[in-house]
Amino acid sequence: MLRTSRFIPYLYLTPAALLLAFTFGYPLIAIFDFSTRRIRGASGPFIGLENYRQVLNDSVFHQAVAHNAHLLLAVPILLASGLLLAILLYERPRWWPLYRTILFLPYMLAVPLVGIVLSNMLQRNGIVNEMLRAIGLNMLALDWIGSAGLALWSVMGVIIWREMGFGMMLFLARLQSLNEEVTEAARIDGANWWQRVLFVTIPQLRGVIEFYVVISVITMLAWVFSYVYVMTRGGPGNATIVIEMYLYNFAFRNALPGIASAVAVILFLLTLGLTIPLFRLRAQAAEEDRA
Amino acid sequence: MKARGLTSRRQFLKLTGSSFSLLALAACAPTQQAPQQPSTQQPTAPTAAEASPAPSGVELRMSWWGEQEAPGLENWLKESIALFEQQTGHQVTPTLQDTSVVISEFQTASAANSAPDIQYFWNGIYHMESVWLGYVEPLNGLIPDDLLKASNATVLSVFGGKQYRLGWYAVPMMWVYNKEMFDKAGLNADQPPKTWDEFIAACDKLKASGVIPVVGGLKDGPWGEWYLGHSLTQNLDSPGEAIDLFVGTRDWRDPQHWEPWAKLEELWKAGYMNDDMNSIDLYPGIDLFGAGKGAITQIVGPLVPRMQSLLGADTVGAMVMPAFGQGNMAGKPIADTQGLGISSQSQHKQVAAEFLIFLHQPERVNALWEQVKQLPADSTWDGSVIADPLLKQIWQEWMHGDNVPYISNLMPTLFWTDAMFVNSQKIIAGEYTGEQAGQNAHDVTQKWVEQNPDMAEKYKQWAAEMKL
Repeated sequence: MLRTSRFIPYLYLTPAALLLAFTFGYPLIAIFDFSTRRIRGASGPFIGLENYRQVLNDSVFHQAVAHNAHLLLAVPILLASGLLLAILLYERPRWWPLYRTILFLPYMLAVPLVGIVLSNMLQRNGIVNEMLRAIGLNMLALDWIGSAGLALWSVMGVIIWREMGFGMMLFLARLQSLNEEVTEAARIDGANWWQRVLFVTIPQLRGVIEFYVVISVITMLAWVFSYVYVMTRGGPGNATIVIEMYLYNFAFRNALPGIASAVAVILFLLTLGLTIPLFRLRAQAAEEDRA
Repeated sequence: MKARGLTSRRQFLKLTGSSFSLLALAACAPTQQAPQQPSTQQPTAPTAAEASPAPSGVELRMSWWGEQEAPGLENWLKESIALFEQQTGHQVTPTLQDTSVVISEFQTASAANSAPDIQYFWNGIYHMESVWLGYVEPLNGLIPDDLLKASNATVLSVFGGKQYRLGWYAVPMMWVYNKEMFDKAGLNADQPPKTWDEFIAACDKLKASGVIPVVGGLKDGPWGEWYLGHSLTQNLDSPGEAIDLFVGTRDWRDPQHWEPWAKLEELWKAGYMNDDMNSIDLYPGIDLFGAGKGAITQIVGPLVPRMQSLLGADTVGAMVMPAFGQGNMAGKPIADTQGLGISSQSQHKQVAAEFLIFLHQPERVNALWEQVKQLPADSTWDGSVIADPLLKQIWQEWMHGDNVPYISNLMPTLFWTDAMFVNSQKIIAGEYTGEQAGQNAHDVTQKWVEQNPDMAEKYKQWAAEMKL
């Protein structure tokens, strides 16, 4: 039997642990440190929780949080549409591989490209409104991205349009790995299509659905910057500003990395606060399944 | 069986593990050259050693911007570098920067002690913040005083009696109008409106003739910045008074200071502007003018030749924003220049200065006009070579007449994002009145001062020095 010192495994782990600590741990510690300083250039004086106080008292930050919360409305829409499309494709209608490709295509396109093209189309005198006017629907030819009341909904629509393909592919991949005998048995037992979907198929997708919800929640909280930046720059006014955009403004435009770091910490804690319960629920459900 | 001469799996893993540990430790260890802490003190004047003859074969790094607004500048710069290298034996490596990183990249590089020797700088606060961080070298003593003055860097490049930027090419800020549309509306195309009342009367006639009087695009923000640059001057006597507003010494809630936004509201509510202002960007807004869809727009000098090529050289006229205020700066043309400066971290400041001086040699300045069709910043340049009457007018009246600096360059970025950007868009969206815009500007100013007490002090010092 091979005898080694009990420290040897730790020695082998050391390089990877150091690399991880350097690439993930150091930035995290640095951000926490920065968030307590008035940073000018590379460092600055310690000011305690002043940056946090300023952020939490800032009405623009409140608006940004509200807009991120608004975008969470997209999660159930993404989930329902992704599931529906995956289940329909799973029925293998004629040309289904082509439909799958077409539906997945938006997800393959770069966000800036999608944002630029769609924001041009959605301008007040853009192609969407021109088409609406051409068919006599003038009352629907609205200022989709130039009006404060509509802009956030328009951004959300574009996010849903692009991100939907990812959910669809995820669910379709899981569906294709399911044991078809279970569905077949339900069919023989007299279950109609809706009953098979609701009581046989969807329960088997539970794990991937939970995963997708977590990913989508994180996306709506911390991955929508590029859509907003390209489509509206946070405007009109502050109608579409989100937490990431607020953070970006302080980090790169207002030259206040201390405040940007405080926002990053808040965003990190917010995301953690929302995703940990979701992961716990998932773990709990897995326990129940095993029991 | 262990093969003789080959490393065993255990030995290999040990070796790899040790190597990674050493590499990781080496990466974490301080480098030989410790990063320089940013200093809030002003950089010192060049020492005697720096003023001594420069070494040969120096390699300079230059980060620049400008091709985006002045197409052809890159070729001119490459040619200038080749000539400089040929004459001096030094090397210059240029890097064209993206618009969004011109300021942040220099500050980040400076914080990491790896700033380029020569950096492109926009005027005013866009480089002054870096000056206050100690990242920019004063040019006095490195570059002859007469060239510093002739480069028209404006008072916005001066702090503590030192100049930090050398003007490169001219950026006169103006309104342009379509003479044919003026004629069609029964207006005198050779006498554009000078007062606000005349302007409103002209807009009425233009609208009645079936054209949009004023066109622009607000979605990305700079149109609002330009508008404020033209209109905020109206009730101010000096650029220092604008700083007073930005640091809260003067009050935005005073009606004379929110009047610019009230005038914007007036134009919008009267239907004198394109209805898609909030959903299109700056350049598509200007393109509406170029496409003959609007009678008047705001513009910068480098874009005028493009409008002339689209509409015809005789169709485009230049005007100053009609005056509504009583300040000394009201109704005057705005002159600005894009410029270059030297990093305080450069090891070769003398050579960098030599290169900047080279760019201002008469032959290079002439080439800037001949090749790029950009008006040079140098007041020593012989403007009589300009054949085009409009460009000649701009050169004479905007750059060398009784002009004022572009005071939007004094705006803190928080004011840009949270006040200027928000106010102009909310007025167009019908959510704000001019007075509400003033209240928001006041609130944002208070927030900025609270977040930047150190910068606010520098601003106040700057304002006290700044005279027209």
